[in-house]
Amino acid sequence: MWGIAGILLIALLIIIFEVPSLWKSKQKKELWVFFLLLIFGVGLSIAKSLAVNIPNPLDWIIAVYKPFSDAMMNILK
Amino acid sequence: MLDNGKISVRQFRVLTILFTVGSAILVIPSILVTDSKQDAWIGVLLAIGTGMFIIIIYNALAVLFPDLSLVEIIECLLGKWIGSVVSLTYVFFFFYNASALLLYIGDFMTTQMMPETPIQPIMILFLAIVIIGTRLGLEVIARSAEILCFWFLLLFVVLVIFISPQIDWKNVQPVFESGVKPIILTTIHFLSFTILPLITFLMFFPAHINQLKNARKAFITGSLIGGIILFIIVFLSILVLGPDQTARQLYPSYVLAKKINVGNFVQRIEVIIAIMWFISLYIKMTVYFYGSIIGFAQILKLKNYRFLTFPFGMIMVTATIVMHPNVVYIQTFDAKTWPVYGLTYGLLLPLLLLGLAVLRKKGSRKRKLQSNSRS
Repeated sequence: MWGIAGILLIALLIIIFEVPSLWKSKQKKELWVFFLLLIFGVGLSIAKSLAVNIPNPLDWIIAVYKPFSDAMMNILK
Repeated sequence: MLDNGKISVRQFRVLTILFTVGSAILVIPSILVTDSKQDAWIGVLLAIGTGMFIIIIYNALAVLFPDLSLVEIIECLLGKWIGSVVSLTYVFFFFYNASALLLYIGDFMTTQMMPETPIQPIMILFLAIVIIGTRLGLEVIARSAEILCFWFLLLFVVLVIFISPQIDWKNVQPVFESGVKPIILTTIHFLSFTILPLITFLMFFPAHINQLKNARKAFITGSLIGGIILFIIVFLSILVLGPDQTARQLYPSYVLAKKINVGNFVQRIEVIIAIMWFISLYIKMTVYFYGSIIGFAQILKLKNYRFLTFPFGMIMVTATIVMHPNVVYIQTFDAKTWPVYGLTYGLLLPLLLLGLAVLRKKGSRKRKLQSNSRS
């Protein structure tokens, strides 16, 4: 519970720190990107603090490169 | 341009040295020695030689596009849609690398120095200075590298001098016991940890340096000096700790620093020596983080990049823990998948881009000649 509160507090601080200057200079696209990334970050952190099983992108990379890395290890062993 | 900073050739060389040394100084002796035992140093020498050719490829790419960053080169050559997808994978590549370094520093601190502290506070603190550096821009990163490089070299010299009495030449014998294949594997591992990540420099290399011609030389000399520093570290690890001990340790150069004992008086100074890799890790991680954010901003054509630093940092802290569940996972990834992954992004794609660029240039010249002859 405290973890989630902390994450939300940090997100709030980041918003207070960044948004006014973006708002003033009317950078709409930048604001969209900023909020999407922040929501993604907050969601990811909360999911992690609730011990939800998050898929690991490195597993996909390992799967993609497996034939090549196996071949390399076999040739050079 | 997102960041108007310009850096000098000297600063660029210093950045290259610290970036090449980077995380490798901590972890690489153990990986290399696992491959080819006491012959690892031969592989390192081979890798430094091959590495120079890779730097020449990067330089050639930089000369063809003197005022574009890597992401812009990709967009120029592959078109908007395919280019954006390839660039996004590059951004992920930089992002992953930065997070791997963040894990190294967190893991190093929690296993060696502060065993009772959880890993997250250390990562957040370290990421905070990386974010500060990124927000201040390239000029500040380069200047801090210039200042920190002196301390780095000083500590390095202290380490080398103080450890040298304990060298045991029997540890490298018999030379060439392991044969050719393991040494080639060592070479590939060394390249993938030190030279291939230098592709990140193409994010700012030609455009933000005031003299291109000297900068190309500095790129080569900088990576050469970094390579030599790493060679000395690997060689010393083998000579002092021996191949078995080096392969078994997670951070051999830290153990090396622990061994320092001059006249039973100067001893246990490993924490001071550890400042050395904090410096190199910081510079390497900042460059990766900067590269990933600049790349992301350039793909989306944003006017500013600084507001991305905090959301990216927040994602990175969680992503680091998600992407690296345990030490065995990291070590298997580093030893097996990472060399191929690094080769794709550090060698294969740049070669492809270079080939495309040369073909395009030739094509456009031919077309020009044809149109001239027609008129």
